[in-house]
Amino acid sequence: MSEIKKIIKGCLAGSRRDQELLYRRHSAKLYAVCLQYSGNDEEARDILQEGFIKIFENLHHYKHEGSFEGWMRRITVNTALEKFRTRHSLYRVDDIDTIQEPDAEPDNQDYAGLEANDLLEIIRELPTKYRMVFNLYAIEGYSHKEIGEMINISEGTSKSNLSRARVILQRRVGSYTGIKKKVANG
Amino acid sequence: MDEKGANIDLLFRNGLKDFEVLPPPGLWDGIHSAIKMKTRPIIYLRAAAAVTVLLTMSLLAYRWSREMSLGPAGSVIAFNVPASSPVIYNPIDNTQYLPEKKYNTDNNSSNVLVETENQVAINEEIETIASPEQILNVPESKSLYLTKNELINGLELKPLNSPKGNPIAIQYPDLQYPPVNTVAKPVKRWSIEALASPTYYSTFTSGNDQLTSQLTSTEDPLFSYSGGVSFSYKISKRFSIQSGIYYSSLGQRIDGIYSFSGFQKYNESKGSPSFKVPTTSGTVYTSNPDVFLAAYGNGKVYTTYTNDVFDPNKASLQYISNSLTQNLSYLELPVIVRYKVIDKMIGINIIGGLSYNLLVSNSAYAMKDGTKYSVGDTKGLNPLALSSSLGMGMEYNLSDKLSLNLEPTFRYYLDPFSITTGSLIHPYSFGIFSGVSYKF
Repeated sequence: MSEIKKIIKGCLAGSRRDQELLYRRHSAKLYAVCLQYSGNDEEARDILQEGFIKIFENLHHYKHEGSFEGWMRRITVNTALEKFRTRHSLYRVDDIDTIQEPDAEPDNQDYAGLEANDLLEIIRELPTKYRMVFNLYAIEGYSHKEIGEMINISEGTSKSNLSRARVILQRRVGSYTGIKKKVANG
Repeated sequence: MDEKGANIDLLFRNGLKDFEVLPPPGLWDGIHSAIKMKTRPIIYLRAAAAVTVLLTMSLLAYRWSREMSLGPAGSVIAFNVPASSPVIYNPIDNTQYLPEKKYNTDNNSSNVLVETENQVAINEEIETIASPEQILNVPESKSLYLTKNELINGLELKPLNSPKGNPIAIQYPDLQYPPVNTVAKPVKRWSIEALASPTYYSTFTSGNDQLTSQLTSTEDPLFSYSGGVSFSYKISKRFSIQSGIYYSSLGQRIDGIYSFSGFQKYNESKGSPSFKVPTTSGTVYTSNPDVFLAAYGNGKVYTTYTNDVFDPNKASLQYISNSLTQNLSYLELPVIVRYKVIDKMIGINIIGGLSYNLLVSNSAYAMKDGTKYSVGDTKGLNPLALSSSLGMGMEYNLSDKLSLNLEPTFRYYLDPFSITTGSLIHPYSFGIFSGVSYKF
């Protein structure tokens, strides 16, 4: 029996030690996902906490088919989406866009020197709905149709949001790269 | 734009792939507490299921005992009279004789039985007397049970056709009972009982300070055991009082406390405890100078040998375990009252009372591969704790003197073991005691 199977078995038997082991092993990776989907640290903490509670509650549903890490990641992303839906349930997501569209598309850029921390910071600066659509499309690989169903927007809105998110990201990446180069050159 | 978009997608997808950020410390405590809270209803459901099973068993036992006391179906009663006397043979067969009205209206009733010679008929009155309830009231010493088809002394019983409306009088001379020697059995008032049980031990917490919730989140109760001998005295038919002496051992595991051996050569504490571990049952003080304790996770260790001062790995100390086991042993002196709800072959009792619990030993140790490494003991414990208990006893009488007992018992400690943390923590335990009792 593989180690992860043993840990899962222990968790299902209520072993506190195995539960903690599972948390210690995977919390860092899942917390990065939570940060990616949330606008602030407090929200990220909530998502991680709720996500892990769901993981432990639903562990018996995991059939050892496919990646366990992927299964946990899906639960965490779904928890982030639930939070998003709860906060935006009073109005359609399409109607809350107040951000100014960028004037022009940026030129070709050199992305070298950007680290994961920088990328995370950039992605978290996106307006919530753009961040959601970009994460679900570009990182998780969902289609616009699926995204529309997930966060209650139309397919067209999903496409439009993705496009705007990309433009903003390109501009921010450009700014970051420029700042980094300046810092590097003294 | 599409190409640029794909590039930016790739940049983020690859850049954030396998990216890790350590979550803030303490988050696990919240998660663990929530999991614990959600699993508690399962424990309650199991307890409810156990109670339901016990109640069902009790009900079945009660019904069974009742049926046993009524005797086999279809049996009849006859008086134990001299051979020369006429004998009434009165079958008790509800399907044949009830309702009574049938006899008054049916002239050709073939169900009424009489003695041939004396032309004794059984009228309504006799039937009434012979109803099952009244038969039960016949003194036991004057009766014997016969089967329906038995005949006594060769008497032949035949049906009688009685005329309608004429009550048939019994001509039944000299129905006399022989003198009966009634010897009262001595009541066995005393009994001695030996019982033992594995027990589930946990705590109720009143007050909700942060330290208490942190401590409870790292503690897991261990299966404990309890057993002893008791005497009981029967005050009345239903009530009895019981006392005795029980030994109970309770334990819990404290997670997140890492222990190492080989610390003695670095230990400069000179006899005073080097490490203190707060728990809900009191504070564990180390007495073994060779043991080093550290809390890397969410456990708590008070010491001057903090992580930045002493590293057990650099000092090549031998790792023992990542948890401590705390064990407390009590001698219990109970005063229990039993109320007998059912007093049959299978008896049911309700048990309730109070006990004084004397602390006789306490220890804390770490385990590695089945070997115990003594760490120290717990200070601040109440040496005498009062507990209450409530249970239900089932008693299967093997004979007049010997019976098997099964007693699911819930015990709640009225006095907290310790008030170290500022919150009142009342332990409780549940056990299904089993054993034997001897009456004399």
